[in-house]
Order: sequence, then structure tokens, then C-alpha cells
Amino acid sequence: MSLREPAWRVTSRELESSLEEEKGEGERPATYLLSPFAARMNRVLVAGTLTPAESIGRDNSQAFWRARLSDPTGAVAVTAGSFQPRAMAQLRAASAPRPAIVVGKVHLFRGRDGVGYVSVRAEAVRSVAESEERAALADIVRQTLDRLDLLERIDKEPDLSEEALRKEGLPSAWVRAAKESRRRYPNVDRAAFRRDLGAAVRRVAGESGPSRQPEVGVPTVSVSRAPVPPPPAPAPTAAERAEESLFLDQLDEVADVSADGYADLKEVLFRVSSHGLEAPRAETVLNRLEEEGVVEEPIVGKLRRA
Amino acid sequence: MTADAAPQAPVETRLRDLRSTTTPVEFVARVVTYERRDVTRRSDGSRRPLASGLLSDGTATVRFTWWDPPREGLERGTVVRAVGAEVREFRGRPEVTFSWKTRVGEASPAELPRLDSEEIPFRNVRELRAGEEGFRIEVRVVRVAPKSVTVGAERRVVYDGLVADRTGAISLSAWSDFGLRVGEAVRFAGGYVRAFRGRAQLVLDERSTVVRVEGNDLPDPAQLLGAPPRSIAEVEDEGGGETVAVEGIVVGLLPPSGLVYRCPTCHRSVRSGICRIHGQVEGQADLRARIVLDDGTGALTVNASRVETERLWGVTLDEARSRLRNQPDPSLLEEEILESLLGRRLRVRGVGTKDDFGVTVTPESIERVDIDLDASAEALAARLRRGE
Repeated sequence: MSLREPAWRVTSRELESSLEEEKGEGERPATYLLSPFAARMNRVLVAGTLTPAESIGRDNSQAFWRARLSDPTGAVAVTAGSFQPRAMAQLRAASAPRPAIVVGKVHLFRGRDGVGYVSVRAEAVRSVAESEERAALADIVRQTLDRLDLLERIDKEPDLSEEALRKEGLPSAWVRAAKESRRRYPNVDRAAFRRDLGAAVRRVAGESGPSRQPEVGVPTVSVSRAPVPPPPAPAPTAAERAEESLFLDQLDEVADVSADGYADLKEVLFRVSSHGLEAPRAETVLNRLEEEGVVEEPIVGKLRRA
Repeated sequence: MTADAAPQAPVETRLRDLRSTTTPVEFVARVVTYERRDVTRRSDGSRRPLASGLLSDGTATVRFTWWDPPREGLERGTVVRAVGAEVREFRGRPEVTFSWKTRVGEASPAELPRLDSEEIPFRNVRELRAGEEGFRIEVRVVRVAPKSVTVGAERRVVYDGLVADRTGAISLSAWSDFGLRVGEAVRFAGGYVRAFRGRAQLVLDERSTVVRVEGNDLPDPAQLLGAPPRSIAEVEDEGGGETVAVEGIVVGLLPPSGLVYRCPTCHRSVRSGICRIHGQVEGQADLRARIVLDDGTGALTVNASRVETERLWGVTLDEARSRLRNQPDPSLLEEEILESLLGRRLRVRGVGTKDDFGVTVTPESIERVDIDLDASAEALAARLRRGE
């Protein structure tokens, strides 16, 4: 059963601090971004000031737009492409910064240097009145505090069962996320995070104006402030490079003869396996190529050169 | 004639006590449904009449099969005495078969087994499953209202409502006027449970009995209907319910939302002028919104009707249709509804059902909720201070 993923209420600060990914279960597993503050996000709801969008698509046929949403705790990139036509139209519509609510899927991009960039692939964007933005922010801070409280309870009573907490009305998914984020982020500074939330509370009270537009040129999200920097990926060996080039050759051949210009994933896997690169290994190679931005899978099961 | 072939004397029994045996049985029961058809024999292609349906004597309901039934058939509600019926088991439930050896004749309702109410077991709402009967239950009437329905060619009044005990709430459908009033505590006997639109429903008919009771430990209707909203994760865990109350933010709309066309007979949506049941029809315009409501713990779908959609959107069906004449793209209407709802905080009460895609709520009320910003900020600041 695949229930709809809930939209976790998070601040930009929490998104910026999230580095750990987790794969779900089932036939088509979703990817989750695990935050240090007990959110296990696939979908999120964020609120703040949205800047006008810039086009980062390569050409007209691959429209892709990016804007920045800043709240009192930080800022996060919001993107939309031709697969999210409504959200893209909304992003493009504005010519000046405005208060907005964004619902979308989180996306962690990790560059070669190991620096992670979190962005939100928007599904829905709406410009709102300032009071609505503040109301959404109140909801975000309230749920963030709920999660911090849960983490503290588990700190004090690590053996507390999911069942016992569920009886108190705490969703099982929250309890699992809290336990997992304690494990994955052992040394996180929650006190500093609470101080950041103070700024958000002042905004809810209307004591501070709309979030300042971040200066141009500042990188979208930097993880230098994050508690545990990921180890840099080791450079690929010559053997791995050879596998990659085999994979790319086969991909190009399949793409050349296909009607839509995409290479069918199954076809490619079949071909490389006949060249001695078996499926599990080939998947690893594909993942690496995707991470390096050489290959992309814009449609499930369809590959192309990025 | 040998001893083996001698007919065994049928044993009179209640339907609840039927077991699959070789001994023919005798019983008195009322006809609940009766349907006659012909079956074609495979060997020679000849046709043989067969009747089947349901019989009930108040203790249980069983399926019957009747080979070569009389031409005139049996009316619904007739009480019959069957002597020499065979009992078989099908999928773990007993069934009876009438053959040429069985004598079926009309009987008087007075001959139905007398039920000593003391021996009928008590159930609570949470235990009720579709197909269950022969139980007693004490509940509070939370809601009840007469409704006129068409059954075949007949118009009947059915009293629809909701009843509850401490373990939960279940929808009620009474086919007879028991004078039920909201707030009273009652004991039902002789009802049964059926599955209606994916949820259990308690059905009372003319044979059911209703007794007023004290019901001190039964919940208060206002308390049930005005219960504070719960988390969507909890509602998902419980698989919906009769009195779902949730509060969340609108994060999307599911198709079909906006202007839809419905079959004039059954109100199902019409695709390309074809109703799934009634074929080619002239579709009637209607408005709807399938709202995705999310509270951060989970998400569910709220099926808003025309009235609710008009109120939330602020545009009537007629206005929507006239807009369509100027701008003939129906998807723009859906976009406008989304634009007017996205990010709004709603409190929804209604009946929730769960399927593979999650919980869907048929709302009884949808209210916009406005947060008191100053109070929230104060509460949040206090919580922040406590944690330091």
C-alpha cells in the first residue's frame, strides 16, 4: 500500500542541516531525507519570502526554473520543471519577492566535493497574504518543537516503545524518524537550532518584517554548518571507469535507435549484462553516473545523457 | 424397503444451530430474498428451474437453493415451514437445499422460533462485522433522520443515522419507524450488520426490537460530534471511521475536480457521454473538489460536494459554466479552485473510508480555520523558553 507522503513542516534551517538519505521499502521505494531534528522527509511544506525565479533550463524544450525561499532561519532553493507545469507557472509569475507557501519533494544533490545542496522540487506554489505566511510558519514551528520534544523524551527514555508513544497520539512515523535521526546525527547542536527557531517565532508575532532577500551570489545552501560532514567520495578506480564507459556506450546505442531518444533502462541493463556487467553492479555504476550528473532518469526506467 | 432407505424423521431446528449433517432438518423461517432462474443442464441442454435466496428466523440468515420450485414463487416476507431440507456447508457457512423430498409450505409468523432475549449475546460496536446478526447491543442515538428511498418500484422511508457506544460509532439504517430520537439510549435486538460503501452498517427491520435503557456509560452525542480534531496519522491507522475530525492544510487537488458531468439516473460521473451503468446519457453539470488535506502527520482526500465547493471557492456552478463559455479549457477551472484553496487551513468532519490510496472523507462539514497569530506566537515562545 502506498499512502501519500505527508508534507513535513520544516524550516529552511532544518533543510539546510539535512544530509542523510534513506531509501523506503516496496516496489518503487521513495527516497527520504533524514534531518537531525527527527523529520524523515519525502514531501515538505515550507513558507517564507519567495524571490523571482530564474531560468536554469538548458533550452526551451527543457524548461527549468529556480527561485529562493527564505524564512527567518535560512533559505532554500525551490525548483520546478516541465513536469510540474503549474508550479513552474507560479514560480515564473512573480517579478518581485512575495510571501508564499511551497509544497514539494525534497531533493539532495551532493557534489563531487561532498557538499550537499538541498532543494525543494515544487508541486504547488501559492502567493499568500503576509498573515497566511505567518500562520503557516506558526504551524511549522509548532511541529518542529513537537519533534524536538519527542527527541528529548527518547533521550531520557531510550526504550520507550513506538506503541506507547502512539497511544499518546504520536505517529509511528515520527517515532521511527526520531530514533533514526538520533542514530545518524549523534552530535547535533539542538540548542543552536532552538535559537534559530526564536527568529521564526518573532516573525509569527509580526515583530520582524518579511524575511530579508538573501544577497545574490551566496550559494543556495551550504552544509559547512552541518554537524557531520560526509566523507568525500574516493576517486573512481580505473576498473570503475571502464565499467562506466561500457555502460555509457550501451546507453548511447540504445538511445540512438529508440523512437523517443531515451534509452530504456531494462534494455541497457540487459546489454551490459551480456558484456559481463551484472545487474547489481550495473545499478551501482548507474547510481554513480547519476550522482556525477552524467546520466539522468527524467522518467522512471528511461535514461539519457545529462 | 430396507432400514437404510427409511426416511429419517426431520429434526426441527433453529437456523443458528444448523450444522452440515446427513439428517434432513425442519425449520420455520421468513423469506428475505427470493430469486428464480433457469439453469441449463450440460448433458442434454434441457432447462431446469431453480430458486435461491436468503431465509432468516431471527437467529441467523442462511442461503437456500430450491430445485423445481412452484411456479408462483414466494413473496418476500412470507413465513414458510420447510420439512426435510438438506444442510450443506459452503465456504464455512451452512446452506439449505430443497429437493423433491422437501415439503415447503406457508406458516404463520407465530410459529417462528421464540427467542428468549436473555440468550442473545451482547456485542459492542467495535466487535460488529458485516454479516453478523442475532446479537443485542446498547447504544446512544447520535443522529437520526428520515429519508425517502426507492426500492424497486416502491417508495419507502428509511431512518438513517449514527449510533455509538464507548468502543466506537456505527451508521444505522432502520427500515421501520421505531421513533428513535437523538440522545436516547437504546437496546437493539434482531438487527444485522451489512457492508455499505465499504463500511459496516447496522440495519433494523420490522422484526427488530428497540428498548429504551438508562445507558449511563454511553457517550454523549455532542461530545462525539464535537470531538476535537485528531491527527491524520491516527485516522489512517484506524482506517477511517464514522466520526472523523481532522484539521490540516490544503496541499493539492486530485482529478477529477472542478466541472464534472454526472449521469442523471445514478449520479456517477460520465466519461465521453457514457455512464458506466446506464450507457449513453445526457450528463448533468456538477462541481466537485477532491481536496488533499495534510496535517504534517499524514494526508487524506476530502470529497467536497457542489455546495461545499461553491462555498470554499466562492464561485457557483452557473458562474463556472459561463466562465467556461469564454475560456473553453475546463482544466483552468480546476486550477482556479486550487489557487483559491492551496495553503488554506480547514477543519473537516465526516465519514472516512480507507482503500489502497489512503483515507477518503465524505464531509459533513468543512470550516475554514484562522489561526490567532498573537496567541500562537506567545505559546510558541513559551515552549521555546521551556526547552532552554
